[in-house]
Amino acid sequence: MKNSSETVSGSSRVKKVVVLTTAMLTFIPFWKAAAVVLCDFGSSAFYAGGIAMRAFGPAFPWYILAVMLFSGLLLMLELEACSLFVRGGAYKIVREGLGDTAAKLAASALIFDFILTGPISAVTAGHYLCGLINSFLEIAGLGIQLPVSVVSVAFGMLVTLYFWRQNVKGIEESSSKSAKIIAFSLAVCFLLAIWSFITIALKGAHMPPTHLNFAPEALGWAGKIDWLQTIGLVGMIMAFGHSVLALSGIETLSQVYREIEYPKAVNLKKAAWLIFGFALLFTGGLTFLSALIIPPDLIATKYNDNLLSGLAMSMAGPDILKLLMQAMIVVCGVAMLSGAVNTSLIGSNALMNRIAEDGILTDWFRKIHRRYGTSYHIIHLIAVVQLAVILLSRGNVYLLGEAYAFGVMWCFVFEVSAIIRLRWKMAAQKRDFMFPLNIKYENYYIPVGLILLCGALLTVALVNLTTKQVATVAGLGFTAFLFAVFSLSERLNAKRANTMFEEGYRERINAETVDDLKQAFSDLDRPHRILVAVKDPENLYHLEEVLSKVNADDTDVIVLYCKPVENVLYRQDMRSAAVDEQEVFTAVIFMAEKYGLPVTPVLVHSNDAYYAMAQAAAVADADEVVMGVSGRHGANPQIERAVMTWGAVKDHELKHPVTLRILWEGREVSYRFTR
Amino acid sequence: MSQTKQSKVSLGRLISPSRVIVADEYPGKKELIESLVQAVCREYPQLDPAYVASQVLKREEGISTTLDTGLAIPHARLEELTDFAAAMAVLRRPLVSADNELPVRVMFLFLSPAKPVFFQQHLQILSALAETFKPEFIEELVSLPDAREIAARLAR
Repeated sequence: MKNSSETVSGSSRVKKVVVLTTAMLTFIPFWKAAAVVLCDFGSSAFYAGGIAMRAFGPAFPWYILAVMLFSGLLLMLELEACSLFVRGGAYKIVREGLGDTAAKLAASALIFDFILTGPISAVTAGHYLCGLINSFLEIAGLGIQLPVSVVSVAFGMLVTLYFWRQNVKGIEESSSKSAKIIAFSLAVCFLLAIWSFITIALKGAHMPPTHLNFAPEALGWAGKIDWLQTIGLVGMIMAFGHSVLALSGIETLSQVYREIEYPKAVNLKKAAWLIFGFALLFTGGLTFLSALIIPPDLIATKYNDNLLSGLAMSMAGPDILKLLMQAMIVVCGVAMLSGAVNTSLIGSNALMNRIAEDGILTDWFRKIHRRYGTSYHIIHLIAVVQLAVILLSRGNVYLLGEAYAFGVMWCFVFEVSAIIRLRWKMAAQKRDFMFPLNIKYENYYIPVGLILLCGALLTVALVNLTTKQVATVAGLGFTAFLFAVFSLSERLNAKRANTMFEEGYRERINAETVDDLKQAFSDLDRPHRILVAVKDPENLYHLEEVLSKVNADDTDVIVLYCKPVENVLYRQDMRSAAVDEQEVFTAVIFMAEKYGLPVTPVLVHSNDAYYAMAQAAAVADADEVVMGVSGRHGANPQIERAVMTWGAVKDHELKHPVTLRILWEGREVSYRFTR
Repeated sequence: MSQTKQSKVSLGRLISPSRVIVADEYPGKKELIESLVQAVCREYPQLDPAYVASQVLKREEGISTTLDTGLAIPHARLEELTDFAAAMAVLRRPLVSADNELPVRVMFLFLSPAKPVFFQQHLQILSALAETFKPEFIEELVSLPDAREIAARLAR
């Protein structure tokens, strides 16, 4: 073990400085965040049209298009939800706004949809793959066709098993990979659109009708209520309700929000616009082109479960080119749909973890994998249920689609209600974005737009309750079951829950022991560095001040926490940091996420925090060292001690001035070392 | 607090032979601080030694002023002062302070004017002292025979 102090000064006091953690927080640009969401949200283009067609006939593209336009309102809702920075997505927002019971109900409903998103995506991918193979076999004139149901179930299970393993291993979603998939999808979409327009010019098109022709099972219980059929608007709402499954994955935005880089609010809006535009063109546009080009009888029969393949195969041109186009669609579809399977596992695991953190689930659920550090019990449970759903569906995408959308609609109803409530409850909180249509009254913004949206969502959700029988029975049953599990588990866990509530949420921090401070900062490459010393998770005003003003393009921010210890076991690799630093770094990471700025959190063991700070600043070649004020000692004694230690550690002339600052609410004490 | 222009303060100007205590050992930190306060107050009649000692000891109750190099810098900022004042003790045998058990070879009592305008200079001197009194320099001071030579060495 190299003694880091020896590289800095001859000081004997700081021999026990050892860097334990170097975890670089990274943030992604808005287009990568949009790509992550679109890999899930955009994937519904591959099945939503076919399912809607079977439910209410050839008018489906109008409603898919309407749902995509409606998604713009939901994205705006997510923007306001994210701007509240209540960490944990819809579940935490509902908990904050409407309380525990509503939050548990919303979470239960959302998990139901997460569990269905995996199978519906995996099975659809199987359909597309099998469709391609069968097209090839048909063109090759081999006279054999693969059984679609068997292939789609087998492929769906394989994909689920693959991502089950990946999630247990803790291999996270790659935003770069998502961006590549979306770029490829965009290229495919562009090609399809161009070819579609050529085909329309050559062969003509049949404009989809607007009249609704419901399948008996799509009317559900509403089919038995005669007077409902006399109101045209009800039919439109029913059709809309059968199309909302196209929204699958839109909630992913709240999951990726924490990863979006600075300036967070601006980038979130850009990401939302990109998602909206892409979804409108990709899901809405391609579904519409499919309806214009594919003969309605073929949509109803051959291409019901692989609509976009049908579009490729209905183009004007040679078969080989059509097959090539279909192959491209299948590659794009399999990649996006598989991504959606992964997101469903990640999303449901994250949601279950948020619930577990609140002490609602027993320790069994939170059990961490010894090797990979993941909550593998939860992942196992979700994957097993998803595999069972795939088997039970027997590859029937329509059945899965009919079961879907219960959770997403009710979760949105809860979420929008919670956000309305929070307009009063958290009136003082600054919002970077507010859902439009507000009336200012004293200190409040009365959310007229949100109330209208809530009404619309509630109407669709209630109508769906009567029409989508499978979704209602399965969704209510599953939600009630999960809610009962949560309530029972919470009761059993009451004592532990209280303890956890007091402890609060803690970020899992991967700790890596490095040889010395120099190694800890070896990845920093910006010309300027600010070292922020932290101690108390409740006192991070100084860090917030730094993050709110720093120019992230040319400055690295190092956050140093010094753990005072007398004896240090060198080279003791730790998978996770001990409790107190977890609390500190959880608060640090939360702050960094809030501003979307990367920080380098470093933990050092030392018997003197001031020495550790001075040494770290010297090794990092920091331009600025920032501390918070100590309630016990006050700023002046702190800065006195800091400058004394700096002098003791300093062994060479400074290359540039270094400013030492102690910050607290509206005040600052500083000193500038110039030589 | 705003940054003021830093100006160098000569250690030689702060320390005269009459303000240097050389001893083989000392019974305790408190006693040594009181002796140094006496040494300063002899030349500053406006200062009450008991009050100054109490202010310095009060500051000592806070964050430690002892460095691992063997230097302790007990200090205080006083309304009565209009300029910096100091006294120094060099111990042949280290004094072990009770607060953090770091051995003290040199104690530099440092008094500053309380006015905010002097604060930056106060910090500059603290830093300069810590930078100057590295273990090798302390060893050199300990090896010197008397207060006159120690003061002369500081003035160099």
